This record gives sequence, structure tokens and C-alpha cells, in this order.
Amino acid sequence: MTDINRRTFIRAAGGVAALGATLGFPSLALGATRRVVVIGGGVGGATAAKYIRKLDASIAVTLIETKPSYTSCFMSNEVLSGERTLESLTFGYDGLRRYGVEVIRDTAVGIDPEKKSVKTAGGHSFDYDACVVSPGIGFKWETIEGYDEEVAAETVPHAWNAGPQTTLLRRQLEAMPEGGHVIIAAPPNPFKCPPGPYERASQIAMYCKHHKPRAKITILDPKDAFSKQGLYIEGWTKLYGYGTDNSMIEWVGAAGGGTIEELDPTTLTIQAEIEEFQGDVVNIIPPQKAGPIAFAADLVDGDWCPVDKRTFESQRHKDIYVLGDASSAAKMPKSAYAANSQAKVCAAAIIARFNGLEPGDPTFVNTCYSVVGEDFGISVAAVYGLNSHTNTIQPIPNSGGVSPANASPEIRKREVSYAHSWFKNVINDMLE
Amino acid sequence: MPRRIASTTRAACFWVVLLSLFIMPAVYAKSVEPAGELMIHNFDPETGKRIIPNERCLTCHGDEKEKSDVRDDGSPVKIFVHSEQIEASVHGEQSCTSCHVTIDRVPHREAPKVVVGCIECHKETWDQHKDDPDGKHERLKVVNEQIDNFMDSVHAQPNKLDQSRTNATCYDCHEAHNVGELGSIQRAEKRLKNPEVCGRCHEKELEEYRTSDHGKAVLEKGDSESAICSDCHTTHEIASPETDKAKLAITKNCGDCHEDAQRTYFDSYHGQVHRLGYTNTAKCHDCHGGHEVKSADDPTSEIHANNRLENCRNCHTEANDNFLSFWPHSDADDRENYPTMWFAKRFMQALIFGVMAFFWVHVLLWLYREVMDRFQGKGFIEDLNHPDVVYFRRFPAVWRWIHGLFAISTMTLILTGTTLLFSHTDWAKTVVIFLGGVEMEGIIHRTAAVIWLGIFLSHLVIAICNIWCKRDKFEWFGSTSMLPNMKDLRDLRDMFKWFLGRGERPQFSHWTYWQKFDYWAPFWGAAVIGSSGILLFMPEKTALVLPGWMFNIATLIHAEEALLAAIFLNSVHFFNVHFRPERFPMSTTIFTGAIPIEEFKHDHRLEYERLVAAGELEDHLVKRPSRRADLAASFITSVLIMAGLALLTLVLIGLMTTPS
Amino acid sequence: MQRDDTMKKKVRNLFLAVLALLPASVLAGPSGEALSFTCAGCHGTDGSSVGPSMPAIAGMDPEVFVDAMKAYRNDQRNATIMNRIAKAYSDEQFKEMAWFFASQKLHLFPQAHDVALAERGFKLHEKHCEKCHENGGRPGDAGTLAGQWMPYLEYTMDDFLNGKRKWPRKMQRKVDAAIADEGQDALPALIHYYGSQQ
Repeated sequence: MTDINRRTFIRAAGGVAALGATLGFPSLALGATRRVVVIGGGVGGATAAKYIRKLDASIAVTLIETKPSYTSCFMSNEVLSGERTLESLTFGYDGLRRYGVEVIRDTAVGIDPEKKSVKTAGGHSFDYDACVVSPGIGFKWETIEGYDEEVAAETVPHAWNAGPQTTLLRRQLEAMPEGGHVIIAAPPNPFKCPPGPYERASQIAMYCKHHKPRAKITILDPKDAFSKQGLYIEGWTKLYGYGTDNSMIEWVGAAGGGTIEELDPTTLTIQAEIEEFQGDVVNIIPPQKAGPIAFAADLVDGDWCPVDKRTFESQRHKDIYVLGDASSAAKMPKSAYAANSQAKVCAAAIIARFNGLEPGDPTFVNTCYSVVGEDFGISVAAVYGLNSHTNTIQPIPNSGGVSPANASPEIRKREVSYAHSWFKNVINDMLE
Repeated sequence: MPRRIASTTRAACFWVVLLSLFIMPAVYAKSVEPAGELMIHNFDPETGKRIIPNERCLTCHGDEKEKSDVRDDGSPVKIFVHSEQIEASVHGEQSCTSCHVTIDRVPHREAPKVVVGCIECHKETWDQHKDDPDGKHERLKVVNEQIDNFMDSVHAQPNKLDQSRTNATCYDCHEAHNVGELGSIQRAEKRLKNPEVCGRCHEKELEEYRTSDHGKAVLEKGDSESAICSDCHTTHEIASPETDKAKLAITKNCGDCHEDAQRTYFDSYHGQVHRLGYTNTAKCHDCHGGHEVKSADDPTSEIHANNRLENCRNCHTEANDNFLSFWPHSDADDRENYPTMWFAKRFMQALIFGVMAFFWVHVLLWLYREVMDRFQGKGFIEDLNHPDVVYFRRFPAVWRWIHGLFAISTMTLILTGTTLLFSHTDWAKTVVIFLGGVEMEGIIHRTAAVIWLGIFLSHLVIAICNIWCKRDKFEWFGSTSMLPNMKDLRDLRDMFKWFLGRGERPQFSHWTYWQKFDYWAPFWGAAVIGSSGILLFMPEKTALVLPGWMFNIATLIHAEEALLAAIFLNSVHFFNVHFRPERFPMSTTIFTGAIPIEEFKHDHRLEYERLVAAGELEDHLVKRPSRRADLAASFITSVLIMAGLALLTLVLIGLMTTPS
Repeated sequence: MQRDDTMKKKVRNLFLAVLALLPASVLAGPSGEALSFTCAGCHGTDGSSVGPSMPAIAGMDPEVFVDAMKAYRNDQRNATIMNRIAKAYSDEQFKEMAWFFASQKLHLFPQAHDVALAERGFKLHEKHCEKCHENGGRPGDAGTLAGQWMPYLEYTMDDFLNGKRKWPRKMQRKVDAAIADEGQDALPALIHYYGSQQ
């Protein structure tokens, strides 16, 4: 064997051995069970809970989550096209329980960093040695006049957290007359799932192509560019006549006046920077910030939570770690895969700390699939490392990127298949 | 090609439809964890190297149904190995990859190079186990010796046409998968297979060998006792047949079976030279043929009567029919087949024995007597406080020169001749090397012989002239004549009486009887050695008139007579002249030409008295030799005595170590 | 088990000794485990994929792993995404990931298959494939076939047949022979056979 040398072998085997060491040392050395409280049962929280237990079963892990089950946002655009049901995106927490994670259905309302204790709406408090906060996003309702939580729940859904609003939006699309007009208002950066609004437009177009072929979809965007833009346009051109007079999808960027200012929910009219847009179905994805507990626990600086990128420990409070969408982890996108990747780095860092070791160098991956239409999948991938001097996460040079332009139909088709397998594996890695 | 794509596309569609029906949300399916070890256990934790079990190799290489495969270039290749054979072989406990070190992947990613390093493993294993008490690896010692031999052999040399490989390597000959332990069936079979193995490369030689008596016995009758390639060429020390090393080894190896033939060969001139380490004389295969060796009855044999002369002419280009009666393997101890030789040898031995027995008894008794006399204060004792100032002129310059040259040439002849006679000794080989090889030695020997004979003849001429000049008054049986007379016999008798204490020491005339014997002995020697030497000097000329067996006789008596001379001169003559107590350590008279008058009186009293009576003494008296002349004479005498004694020692060593 | 334990101990001791001796910089960079954890989102936890298009890589032969990753990195193997990802890693990192996955147990998941077709596939496998893909295609130096996800196997065979992936030595001959035996059913039969294994 010429390729795999002895040093590599020792490092690999040593990793296993070090793992073995962590299994034995903590209880012996410290005489007490270490406790980790995880707030939020999304990708970040669930993955962190699972991996902490997987790496060191002596650590007690409690997961606090408001909802009884997890519904994934990724792939939820396929609900809009009717490709799948919301149920197929919903998963229980029994898998985590099998790993020995205590899953509590409650809502965390505050964290006392001094006492190292989490308070819940149910009136309980949970002491921790380390607290992982993975609250996801909250919305900046105040930025769009006439749009609030109530409107979103009833008439103009954002559907940006998969759940009832996703179903509502789907019903609205089904009820929309042939030749109807769908408006999707995309949020400004940064926001959760950067290619999401455009995949949503694509999925709705896919639905309309079969059922309402004269329908129009307008994307109002406060940005001049968006994620996987070239590939989306390639797909739209191929599938939905983009660039022609008959294009089903129209994208209005910032320069074209895509920034919206006001909504009239009764007439479903949007006042944008330059002109008004009136739709039959309106989907506004509001500007975003960290989830509420991040604010309650004083973990934010501006909209998002600053963290040490080696460990994802909050830069505001010790022993509190913030993962996923709520953390400011540029240049990683706010995506499921990113949260999954960060959670494992965080889990290993917490265990290293418990054992008095320096956390190792982190490595991150993001892969994100978008299904533009039938047999047309595209992806973006990146591998990241840490620049510890600047505390920034940076892509490894000359790697990653989006699917090639003008790839063969076979490749595009395979990426759809891979997207669905990817979905299963991400879910599996966080919950099973 | 397109047809296949079309068909597979159809097939793909067919089962994709099937699959789409079956595929279920695997997330919910219960997983199955296969039993068995982790993949990582297929790798050595120390080295990180893949562990490839033999069974893995035998999956393909042990499949009896597919014993061959095709290479990447489409050519066929045999891939089958007998796993049972390997297991039964000495390497049965080895893993395939411990020899096939380049195999690190199975299946092989690219055509594997067959690189097998036998040497390092055998060396290392021996180093590790040589001190083991169980002796299980004892055989590896031999293996390692053979490895060293191989490394020095022509097989280990880079090939002349392709320097990237050696002429041959271990596995060209050893079927590594089937190396048997000592005494195993594999090894017996190996002897029978040996010619075929060598013949893979040495095709022409194998064809020749097939026709030989050896080849027929081995290849046709399955007689593993008959000679195979390695019996003559050795197994590992193989040298190019053009080299002396190979020629010497082959001849030596013939003798492993043909002992008598080798013994008699080494008695012959051919064999003597060969045994010195030189290959310019005829060797076994020069006469018998190498690979195509056959018995003399076979008309195609090189030693068949019809072919033999041509065979001789390979070296003796002018050989005639008389050569055919030469006995290349004559045995002087074989009375039945070589009566002439037998008789000649008995005669010569009787002569040697008789002469030496007589004179050694003479020497011993004389020594005894003089020693006894000394104890009794008798005998001739030189007065060292008053050395003689008057000397008697005994030898004129010409005789002194002749004796000196004669001594040197005789010693040279003895030295160069006995190296052949005693070619089995280390000293002989060393001397020949020192002299510059066997051909140079021959030149020296022949040159010395010519000088020796020349001196002998010159002396005869001078002696005859002297007698002629004095023909008027020369007394043939006078006191200064060398001719033996009755007084010599009486002196001999009286000497023995004296030795035994039964009489006085006899009074001698100018020449004593032992001096006369020393004088006349070379006449016999010159006749016998000289004539036999001349016969051997130019064999092709000799054969014009004499039969070939005369070479055998001449060789025998030349050697025996030379032996007699060598021993006699360097023992008896030295004693008589130098070593008897009255003269010890030496007499320089033969080089100064003068003898102290007292000594002359003692040894030649009758002559002294005769000269005094005749008033001629004064004519012969000279002054004591100058100190310089004395020293020079002493030096020359010392050197010659020491050389003579050294020669005697060498001859005696040779005689005592002669193989029976 | 005894042997396992002593081996682990030996390896751990070695590791600790190396750790103590080497300056930190030598060991800088993410560990093999950390690198491998990032793969789980697509290839399943510890490489046991649950997504039918994503091959399982748990228990994979480490050299096959490294070969594959290098081929992806050098754009020598037909890829959708792996070529982009593989470019981020060094040879050494490939090796460390290879050892991580080689140290994992492969969890297989039942796959729906046509039993009769799988039986034909078994016979084809025995005749044409078993020598390289031994033990029914269990993980080894010829990759992992037994229990591997069938859609992934289909993609792979398509790539071979369409010239998008270089045939390993002798494989084309064997596949041609299998197709000669069973015609268009040959590859589906084989894939069903591999998919049927647990």
C-alpha cells in the first residue's frame, strides 16, 4: 500500500482511540455528569444533540423544542408544486431519544448565563454546563408596512418556516384561477436558504405549467443578484420560456424596483419602489433576524448572534453556543447543511472543552440542491475552513461552486435524484 | 457499440420502472448491520499495509477452470498456481505477498510486475533465526551460501542485451511454489527436471545433452544418479564456460563420479597442469566432449577410435597416428592394463629406494662415528686460533664455474619440475603464480634444461681435452683419475668398518669414492632425465619416430629420476660435503677452489704424501683466499644450501601429501 | 476481542506518543473524524447512506476511497457534485477520511427487488464478477456492491457503458460476457442481486 502511510493510519486510529478516551475520562476525572441543554430542535439543535451523545454517551443532553415534531423547510417548496405532502417532511424526535437525548416539549424563554440555567415558558429551568442555542430565524415585520404575523397566517403567507403557511400557500395556488398572477417577494440578504425563493418560483411554475399554463409568477427582489442565478435562468429558459414574451416567470431585481415597501392585504397589492404589483397569490418572505430566544438571552449583536467560529460559542456569553441560521457564520449560507455541519463542529468542541482539551481545527461543508423543474436539479457545494486570525469561515480555494452551466440532461436529472437522497440523509443525520 | 448502448438503455428503462415501484422511504426501514470485522482490520496496524490473504490470490490464481488469462495487450498468460504444492513446499507458511511484494491491490489495478526478492528475505530470516536452538532454519545457512555463490556467478551479471535484468535469477530455475524440503519428492524430481530447466535458456546445450550418455540416462531412463547440468556446472557458482573458473570446476566435478579417471588424469601432464589451476592443457571435456559425452564404443563419440586423432589435433595440430597409442589415463599401478608403466615405475622406485637407503645409512653411520670421535677428542678438529695460511689448489676456475652453474640450473629444474609432480600442493600453485604462470614455468624449465645439458656437454669436452693434453702421462687409474678402482671398494669397506668402530678411517687419494659417485651420478641422470626430457620437449617431433605410449614412460621416469636426484643432492651430497661435523656448516672449496692444507692432509692423505714424495706439493700450494673471496664463497654456498634445503622440504611435503 | 483490545491499546499508545513528540503544527488541520463528519449530510451518519442515489461509504476500502476521491478531484470520474467537493482536500486528508470510513460498520437497508431477477443476477455474479468482487460483492478492494444502493449502481454502470467512466482492468470483458449471457437483463439482474443482499 503506497498511498496510505503509517502516520495517516495512526492519526485515524488515534482519533478512534481519543474518542475512547473521552468516553472514559469525564466521569472519572470530574465525578459529575456533564449537562448540555439544547434549545431548538431544528437541524442545528437536533444534530448537535445527537452528535454529543454519539461522541460521549456520558453527557446528559436535554433538547427543548416547542413543536412536537420537526417539519423540514428544505424540500418544502415541493409541497407547493404538489410533488410531496407536508407529512413527508415531518419527523418525530424518537430517533434522538434512542440516542439518549431527553426531548422536552416546551419553549425556552430565557437563559441565565451566570447561573447557567435555561428558563422555559412552562416554568421549568434547566441547568447546563453548556447550552446550545439553535433558534432559527425570526422576521423583521416592521420593515413592510401592512404586513404582520396575522396577515401572514391568513392571507399572505410567508411560508418560510414549513408548516401551516406552506399548506395555505399551496391551497391558494390551487384555488388561483387559470392565468392568475403569483407574486413572490424575496428578502434582502442575509436570509435563510438563499436559493429558496427562486426554487419556490420554479416549483410554482412547474405546478402551473401543468395546471395553469397561462399563469405568471413575478419575483420582487431587493437584490441585484441571487444564489445560483445563472442556473436558475438556464432552467427557467428551458422549462418556462424565460426571456420570451411568454415567460411564466419574471424576476424584478433591485434596479428594476424589486424592493417592496408596503402591502395592501385586502387587494393583494404590493407597493414596490417604482411601481405597484397586484397578484392573485402573494407570498412575501420578510427580512430576517435571529429567532426570539436569541434576543431574550442577549446573544445578538444587531440581527444575528456573533460567535467564535472555532467552537460556535457566543461572543456575548460564555458556555452558550449559537448554531445555524441565527448565528452570523459568514461566509457560510444559512442552510440546513451548514447548520448540520456547524453542529458537529460545536459538539466536538463542547466535548473537547469538557475534557480540558483545545478544540481542534473545524471543517465545514455546505451542499444545497434545488429542483428547478422536472428532471432539472442544480446544486451548490462548498468546503470551508477557519481563518482563526480573522475569525472567519472561508471556502477552500479552487473548490466548490455550483453545477456546471449547460450540463447534460442526464446530469440535471441525476441531481434531482441526488436532491431527494440528500434530503433523506440530512434528516437521517440529524434525527436518526 | 451503439447496439449495446441501445439495449442497455432499454434494460435500464425496464428496471427503473420496476424500481420506482419498489423504492420505499428507506429512512424508516430498519437497518441491517452485517457481521464481520471492520474494513480497517484488513490492514496492518503497524505499517498501514493491506493484508492480502493467500485465499484472495487463489481466487483467480488457484482456479483450475481458468488456468490462463489474457494480458492487457491481448497475449495469453498462465496464471495458475498449485496451492497444494505451495502448502507442501518449504514456503508453505509464507503469504503470497511476502514474496510478490509489488502486489498491493487485489484485483491488480495495472498489470503487475513480477518482482520477487528472494535474497533479502532469506538473508534476514537467517539472521533472525541462526541462533535458534531448534535448528528449524538450519538449511537457510546453505541457502545463504548459495546466494553468495549466485551473486558472484555469471547468472547474476547484467544481461548483455538488456542490462535492466540479470542473465538469470532465482525463480528462473527454482520453481518457488514448489521448493521441497531435503529428501522430499520434489527434490528428487528436481534433479530429473534440471536439464529441462537449464534448457529453457540454454537450448542448444540441452539438445546436445540429450544425445549424451548422461542425457539419455536422465531424460530417457529417469536415472537421477546420472550427471545433470548442475553436477558439472554447479548449481550456483556458475561461471561462463569460457572462464578458467568454470573449466576448473567442471573438470573437478567430473571426478565426483569418475574418480579413477580423474586420478589418472591428474597423474598425466595434462592433469598436472590443470591441477595447478591452468586450463591450457586438455581437460575432460576437451577430449570427451562436453554436453555430448559418450562412451568410446559410440561412433559419434569424440573418443571413438575413428575420431580420436582429430581430437588430439585440436591442440597438437601436427599429431600423427602415433599419438593414438598415448595412454591419457595410464595407471602405473595397474599391471594388467599398463604392464610397461608398471614395470617402469617399479624399476625407478627400486632404484630410488636402493640408492637412498644405501646412502642414508652411510650418512647416518658417518654422522654417528664422527660424533662419537668428537666425544673422544679424536678426528679432525680445526684450530681456529691458528687458521691455516697455506691452501691446496683443488679446483681450477673452470670447474668452479661449471659446478656453480650446474647447481643453479639443477635447482631451477627441480623447482619448476616438481611443481607439476606435486601440483596438488599449495606451494606448487604459489610457485607457479610467482613464476608467472605455467607457460612461463615451462619456458624456464626448458631453458634451465638446455643450460644444464650444455654444461654437462661442455664439461665432457673440457675433461676430454684435459686428458688429451696429458695423454702421455695420464694414468687412467691414477690418483687424480675419476675412474673408480678397486681401492674405492676397499675404502668403502673400510669406511663402514670405521663407522662401526672396527678399524681406522681409511686414507684417501685425490678423489674419495663418494666424490666419484657424485661425479658419475649425473652421467646416469643426464642420460635418463635428459633423454626423457627431450622426448617430452617436442611431442609432435617425438611421435614421428616413437609410439605415443613413450610419452607415458618418459613422463614417469623423468619424474622419478628427477625425484631421486633432488633428494640425493640435497641430502646425501650436502651431508658428505657440508654437514658432516668435520665440515659443518659448509665447505666453500668448490667456490674458492682451495682447501686448507690441514684439511687436505686429513681427507686426502695418500695424495698429500704422494705429492710430497714426488716434490710436487709446492706446485699446488696457494695462499689463503682473500677475505673477500672467502666471504663471497660463503655467501654463495649458503644461498645454494638454503635453496637446496628448501627444495628438499618442498619435495618431501609433496611426497608426503601425494594423494593415494 | 482480546486481540482487538490490545491492538486498540497499542494504537492509542502510539498515538499518544506521537502526539507528545510532534509539534502542534504537524497535527494542525481538522482531524479525519471532523473531515468525515461533514460527509454525513449526503452519505449518511458515518457513511451509511439512507438516500438511494448516494452510495454507502461506511466500511469502504480505504484505497478505493482514496482512488475515487483523487479521480473526482482530477475530473477523471463522471460526477455531479463530488468533483467540486473533492478539490477542497489534500491527499493526506483523503487518507484520513479513508481510514475513518474504513473504521465504520456498514449499515445496510432493505431494498425492494425482484427476487427472480436477483437469482439470475446471482448466477451471473458467480460466473463473471465474483473473482474481483468477492463474497458477493462485499466491501473490498473492488469497492462495495453487496447491499449498495441500486440507483447508485445503475448510474455507475451507465457511466461505464457510456464511456463516461474508465473501465477497471478486465471489467469490460466481464460485463460484455455477462451481457452475452443474459442480454439486456444482465445488468438489472446483477443490480437486483446486489440490492437484494443484506
